[in-house]
Amino acid sequence: MRKYFTVFSLSFQNEFTYRLNFILWRFRNVLRILMTLFLWTAVFSSRDAALGYSRTQMISYVFLVLIIQTLVLAAPSNDNVGGEINNGDLSNYLVKPISYLNFWLSRDWASKFLNIIFAVIEFSLLWLVFRPQLQFSENMVHILLGIIVWVVGIFTYFFLTKMAVFVAFWYPENTWGIMFIVLVFMEILSGFIFPLDVLPTMAQSALQFTPFPYLIYYPVAILIGKFSIAHSLQFLLQSLIWLFITHFLAQKLWRLGLKVYSASGR
Amino acid sequence: MPVIDIKNLKKYYKVHQKEPGLSGSIKSLFSRKYYDVKAVDGVSFDIGEGELVGFIGPNGAGKTTTLKVLSGLLYPTSGHVSVLGYTPWDRKPAFQKQFSLVMGQKNQLWWDLPAIESFILNKEIYEVPDAQYKKTLDELVELLDVADILKVQVRKLSLGQRMKMELIAALIHSPKILFLDEPTIGLDVVMQKKMRDFIKEYNQRFNSTIILTSHYMDDVKELCQRVIIIDKGKLIFDGALDEIVKKYANHKLLTVVFDKKVDQDKLSEIGQVKEFNFPKAVISVKRTAASMAAAELLQHFPVADLNIEEPQIEDIIREVFTGADVA
Ligand SMILES: Nc1ncnc2c1ncn2[C@@H]1O[C@H](COP(=O)(O)OP(=O)(O)O)[C@@H](O)[C@H]1O
Ligand SMILES: [Mg+2]
Repeated sequence: MRKYFTVFSLSFQNEFTYRLNFILWRFRNVLRILMTLFLWTAVFSSRDAALGYSRTQMISYVFLVLIIQTLVLAAPSNDNVGGEINNGDLSNYLVKPISYLNFWLSRDWASKFLNIIFAVIEFSLLWLVFRPQLQFSENMVHILLGIIVWVVGIFTYFFLTKMAVFVAFWYPENTWGIMFIVLVFMEILSGFIFPLDVLPTMAQSALQFTPFPYLIYYPVAILIGKFSIAHSLQFLLQSLIWLFITHFLAQKLWRLGLKVYSASGR
Repeated sequence: MPVIDIKNLKKYYKVHQKEPGLSGSIKSLFSRKYYDVKAVDGVSFDIGEGELVGFIGPNGAGKTTTLKVLSGLLYPTSGHVSVLGYTPWDRKPAFQKQFSLVMGQKNQLWWDLPAIESFILNKEIYEVPDAQYKKTLDELVELLDVADILKVQVRKLSLGQRMKMELIAALIHSPKILFLDEPTIGLDVVMQKKMRDFIKEYNQRFNSTIILTSHYMDDVKELCQRVIIIDKGKLIFDGALDEIVKKYANHKLLTVVFDKKVDQDKLSEIGQVKEFNFPKAVISVKRTAASMAAAELLQHFPVADLNIEEPQIEDIIREVFTGADVA
């Protein structure tokens, strides 16, 4: 496994080569957090509850979403799997004793690691400045379950995006478009934009049977204590099932894709 | 036992027909018409340990495709392929640790980091022991003379320097077999020469088996005793370089320098005048009639100097490909 650790450490160095890019990216993040805080503060300035959430609950929700998404939705700055399939750079890995999926998983974690460091600093500063009232579950079991669902979601997200990008084996011209649609879907259906329980109950129960809410909504909702322990456990179980399914499908698509891969771009 | 063994290899690419226009694009989303490109069409050869073989042919002949099948990047359409006893497209780590594929126009180095970082990564990927890594790296760095640029960001290297680094990255695990696809492409003449010297030295020093494709005949002429020629996916020659001359060149070239003006029409009676630039002329004659023609020239023309030469290999090969009678 040393090879993947080396990939991790090289990626980490690599992320630093574009310092300005990185700083701008972090700056964008801080702006986004500020905007979200201001938006909800404005919404709650004239009322005590909106969408069934109290002010504290909503602020806690969005604050947690922002923390959780830095790890779930973040990808390496130069994640270009689709491009590598199209232009034949994939060949570089295929001739070597290394797993392509694990290679990108290592790179993914390197970039996440870097993001964690900065996110912790940013959130601490923001918290010190604004002192928002946050409300988490007081039951440690909730916290534990929430964190596990969160970590499972990080991997599920990885495999979902890889599934989308492996379409490039069959439709090399359309990778960007497909990826874009999948990302938009994931942002909305994962609960990144708004808490999913504002949706009609029907839609909520339907979403349960997709992998998306397990990426953000469920970990956040569990952490703020929205569900009973039994329910939380059930969602943990379901999130694990999604992890297995997406992992299986990503590998399946990968193997099928290699059969049609033509190593083009000579 | 041969190291590389190919029997009746076929690789057809399925390519989908693109119809022009927007309606064509939409139609092709739902129903695609495919046709086959026969990139490799029934090729057989085997290569023994330590051989350095030139693999040549015009653009689109199927050279790169063959190398990709041998490296396990492509599944063949049919045929038998065995490399070191392995089936390449099984991509077994034990097999992958024993070969390397270098493509002149592709790079594996991490663009934003110094080349040495990519070497370290390859060391780990191929699980090379520390001591062996140090030894191999030192040796390669010395052979290629790159000690001072190991720590320079790859993007800041010249094409030639980068190609040297690519070679080191490809050789850090001491592969037994090396597939070199146009390794000198785009390099200047001096750099091409250095590359050739290195390839030769590497082959001799480590007794590694090398297949080299190139469209610079100089590469092949200088390095390879044996050449394999393919064209349109089919093998058309496999043997020693000078055999090409014997097999295909049924003509010789007489290069004459004259003292005085001569009549070109009269020269044409001797053979086909390929070039006439007083005082020099080049005449192509049947191989068997070469000495007769030379004698005739000496007798009937004011000859200052006369040479009988084999045609250039480049010319022979070009004419083999165009199907013309070789003269
Ligand atoms: N990925 C691909 N998809 C479809 N056709 C290809 C692909 N790669 C190569 N070809 C075609 O196969 C033939 C052989 O190509 P190649 O092996 O690259 O030849 P060479 O290396 O001898 O120039 C050419 O006609 C080329 O256009
Ligand atoms: Mg080629």
